[in-house]
Amino acid sequence: MAGASAQTAAGVSHTLKGEHTMKIPAQRFININKYAITAAIIVYLYGTFISKILQPGILFALAAGFFCLFHKEYFLSRIKLAAHIWAIPIVVGLFTYPMLMEKQPSGQNGFYFFLTFIISFIPYILLITGKTVEALAKKERLGIISFRIMVQLAVLLIYAATTSYSFIYGSNVALFFWGMFHVLTVAILPFLFGRVLCGWLCPNAVLQDALFKNLTYKRPIPTLPRAIDEQSHSSAMYISGEIDKNAPYFPFTLLLSWFPMFFAETVFDLTGVLEYPVYFMYGLYLGSLLLPWRKMCTHFCWLSSYRGLCAQGSIWRIRYNRSKCKFCKKCQAEEACPFYIDIRNQDNEMPATCCLCFSCMEACPFDGVITFKRAPEDKARVKAIGKKAA
Amino acid sequence: MADNYTTPLARAARIMEIIIPCYMFGKSWGISDSKTVDLFRAMFPSFLVNMAEFFKGIMHTDNANIQRFFSTVSGAFVGFMVVAILALVMHLVLRDRKYLDTLRFTSVSLIPIAVLNGTLSHAIKTLVENMGTQTPDALYASTVSSSQGNLALDGLFYLTAMWFLARRTGVKRSKRFGVVCVGIAFMAVYIGIGLMISPAEWQALLPKLQQALATH
Repeated sequence: MAGASAQTAAGVSHTLKGEHTMKIPAQRFININKYAITAAIIVYLYGTFISKILQPGILFALAAGFFCLFHKEYFLSRIKLAAHIWAIPIVVGLFTYPMLMEKQPSGQNGFYFFLTFIISFIPYILLITGKTVEALAKKERLGIISFRIMVQLAVLLIYAATTSYSFIYGSNVALFFWGMFHVLTVAILPFLFGRVLCGWLCPNAVLQDALFKNLTYKRPIPTLPRAIDEQSHSSAMYISGEIDKNAPYFPFTLLLSWFPMFFAETVFDLTGVLEYPVYFMYGLYLGSLLLPWRKMCTHFCWLSSYRGLCAQGSIWRIRYNRSKCKFCKKCQAEEACPFYIDIRNQDNEMPATCCLCFSCMEACPFDGVITFKRAPEDKARVKAIGKKAA
Repeated sequence: MADNYTTPLARAARIMEIIIPCYMFGKSWGISDSKTVDLFRAMFPSFLVNMAEFFKGIMHTDNANIQRFFSTVSGAFVGFMVVAILALVMHLVLRDRKYLDTLRFTSVSLIPIAVLNGTLSHAIKTLVENMGTQTPDALYASTVSSSQGNLALDGLFYLTAMWFLARRTGVKRSKRFGVVCVGIAFMAVYIGIGLMISPAEWQALLPKLQQALATH
């Protein structure tokens, strides 16, 4: 880092090259016993794949609990509040118990319900007992990011609730969720809010963030072949602005991943099968374990493709003001961006791949560099580039 | 930048961009069975379903799963033919690229209509599954009539997607209006030749459908 930083009890004074001095409030990070987390994940996976009777709603809520645990910044220092929020799965469990028993009364179900109930306490206990450490914050939590997290959790819990209800009562309400999800995210959202699906709405993305973002284990496939990574530089989905008419619209691997999905759906007539989207999600989720964080989304998620392509004209965009940038590298892609976009390479604006998570905006310690509004000097520069291109 | 388009993955991507949307677009025309084929003929333009049925007849097997695969491939093949013809018209308007690139453009921009086709075929499935649980009129209202909203929405987003894709690939504003006009004409023809089940068709189909379901 260029410059010096000093930490005080009340806050962190952060100086970069002596040009900007800003006060950042101290932030408490949660430090949790790693063995407890590993054990919790094992129980979680056991519940999912071995004892199918476990209520999916509870499991997803548990995953959301981990989401909060691993994202150390979430809920700031209010971990007690976070713990109480994750008492929700326990309450949900209590309410759904009579439903489950009414549908499938057996001793075995009672045992598994009890197990579910117990593991619902895991995030609660971890949060309550977790130690906190003072650490240098990136920046004060942005309101928009808090809002995003709430939306993510709300969508995840709606998904969890509909899936749980469908499993217990054998209804199609979960399929209705997916139907609405697809209609909204294909037809409406990309044109207005870009690839907001990937940053705000996708349950799989939330789970990936929950479990994999901050895990530092060695990935079985730490890097992808160069040819696959380079696709992102040659397809319209990723490039901002106008593209060559001969350019491919989507990366090949992403198109290829559509095939197994369509063929399985067709050949085995899975369209109306309740378990299909759930197990498919878990498949994606476990596949994500093999690759670096969100690489699965970048190169293999067919859902993102059309949304990314249409997002180019979206109204809600992040602007990068190069004229104000101090090149401190705080926003560098590997640390901040789920889609590995290096915003400093974007001369004009964010490419359509941007999922509007605002992580780069928060990572940047300076005001006005990454914003919603282009600075006047950058406006003029971009205009000049446009004229030159014309 | 242009050199990247000649990499094997980029070349393969350009081909897949034609195949996959065509598959999505046309597969609904081929997935009917003996119980639902009349409903599909009423819901979609009947000659498209008949063409898919013809190809299904060529590729016949007793294995139900493989037959389902053949059925969707038959529909996809018909879908490809429709897109290829539409791309010819589009090519006359665009004129700035090779036919293959126009075909890709046409195919990818049709994805919202492919979603619409999927929604309509799902409506048929729901209709058949719920026969007998509701009155025929209520069933018609809850499945077919409610799909009118999807038709309007997906049609609108088809045109929007087309406009944006044309803008991104450097099509001049005046030509973009032409591209959208082709889209509007396509939608008009698609609806005109028999998309959606009309109330009169439903009344005519109902006894046949009830009989078919009773015999299965």
